[in-house]
Amino acid sequence: MIQFKNVTKIYPDGTKALSDISFNVGSGEFVFLVGASGAGKTTAVKLITKEIEPTQGGVSVNGRDITKLKKREIPHHRRGLGVVFQDFRLLPDKTIYENVAFAMEIVEARDRDIRRQVPGILAMVGLGSKADCFPDQLSGGEQQRASLARAIVNNPSVLLADEPTGNLDMETAMDIMKVINMINHRGTTVIMATHAGEIVNAMKKRVITFKKGVIISDREKGGYYNED
Amino acid sequence: MRIRTFRKLCRDAIQNISRNRVMSLASIIAVMSALFILGAILVLAFNLNHIAGGIESKIEITAFLDPSVDNPKAEAIVEELKRLDGVYEIEYISKEEGLAEWKRDLGDKGDLLDGYMGQANPLPDKLILNIENPEYVEDIIMKLDAMPRVDKVNYSKEVVDTIGRVANIIRTAGLIMVILLVILAMIIINNTIRMTVYSRRREINIMKYIGATDSYIRWPFILEGLILGLVAALFAGGLVFGGYILLLNKSGTMFGGSSLLNLFRLLPVEAVMYDIGLVFLLVGTGVGVIASALSVRKHLRV
Repeated sequence: MIQFKNVTKIYPDGTKALSDISFNVGSGEFVFLVGASGAGKTTAVKLITKEIEPTQGGVSVNGRDITKLKKREIPHHRRGLGVVFQDFRLLPDKTIYENVAFAMEIVEARDRDIRRQVPGILAMVGLGSKADCFPDQLSGGEQQRASLARAIVNNPSVLLADEPTGNLDMETAMDIMKVINMINHRGTTVIMATHAGEIVNAMKKRVITFKKGVIISDREKGGYYNED
Repeated sequence: MRIRTFRKLCRDAIQNISRNRVMSLASIIAVMSALFILGAILVLAFNLNHIAGGIESKIEITAFLDPSVDNPKAEAIVEELKRLDGVYEIEYISKEEGLAEWKRDLGDKGDLLDGYMGQANPLPDKLILNIENPEYVEDIIMKLDAMPRVDKVNYSKEVVDTIGRVANIIRTAGLIMVILLVILAMIIINNTIRMTVYSRRREINIMKYIGATDSYIRWPFILEGLILGLVAALFAGGLVFGGYILLLNKSGTMFGGSSLLNLFRLLPVEAVMYDIGLVFLLVGTGVGVIASALSVRKHLRV
């Protein structure tokens, strides 16, 4: 499904974010990428969304080497991924319904399908009654639910989450994790970068631990290790 | 692009304008102000050009006809001269009219000319040629000199040269002002639109991350630029023409019937309206669209 093969990433300022890392994530898996700030987990996520290019090595998604994608193929590549961020990244001038619908509009979905699907997804993430609210009228947890709804409305094969609970209190974070877990149970592969140890320990999923740009452990049903 | 998609993009553009009300209004006001100043200068430049043309049309050449020329022959000459480039009006003053005019000028002492009436009239018939602008003068003089029935040609080279110079200075000044203002208006409109796009760069970024193509992101912004430019152009046009009509009404009563001041009479609103309207639409919407497209492109590089 997702494969990192001897990937090294050195940023233009000389920072070596990843050095020679390799790992595979199978279809339907739930994987945590953990590590302290600067360990390289966000870099790994950005490589999958093709926001950045590896300095060396290859990244493939669904068997396709994405480093070889042409510029005009990038939007299509990203549509196959659902992405959620720590800061939600909802469009501020659109309602929650419109934010989710927008993800369908860009893939030129039919109006009928949009009208049918969006309310269902919003209900699934627990926002059925907030469809007409604007993002700034919602709490952080609700905004993250909306962002999850947007991420999965087109049925992506992969859900990428970069610190999705970083701005939330523990209780809200656990609620969000329940939604993400539910999405995983629908068959979507989930890759989540986080340094929230408590959450990682509670979920008992595969954990890949990064430290200073290298993978120091990769365990099934692992826990969050303080590397120091 | 599918029609359905285009319809959505239009809807998005209009929705964005209304939801970003404050920013949209600020942009419209900024663009409108720039166009208004440009319009005021254009009105001024058109009128200066009109005045320059008016001054130039004051150039006259007087041709005295040979005494042997009778009325029908004089008319033939008039017809011939009318065909010359640059001649827009010819006034034929017969020797009788000439004498009567002279008499009038002398006023009380007009009686002195009584002895010259009829056959004794020493004056030749004359033609007054009104010339469009100074550059034709030399050619016309040459042709007149070559005509056997024209006895003498009178004109003031100095006056012609001065008129030409003054008219050119007026025109050049008008043109420079217009060019400067067009550039200024473009800069202001460009900056305004860039600012509206900049304020939404995050939005552009988000759209990129969820897989929107560049053109899908770009179109609503381009349409917004078009709509904002159009609205601003309409308002600016209303202000400029409204203001100009007021000015015309005021100036009409001010100058009264004085013929000298006729030269400085303002152009009627129809004479300036279409050109300025076109400039507004082109500058307003053109710069709006181009500025939107360029500034979105800058934020699309993710």
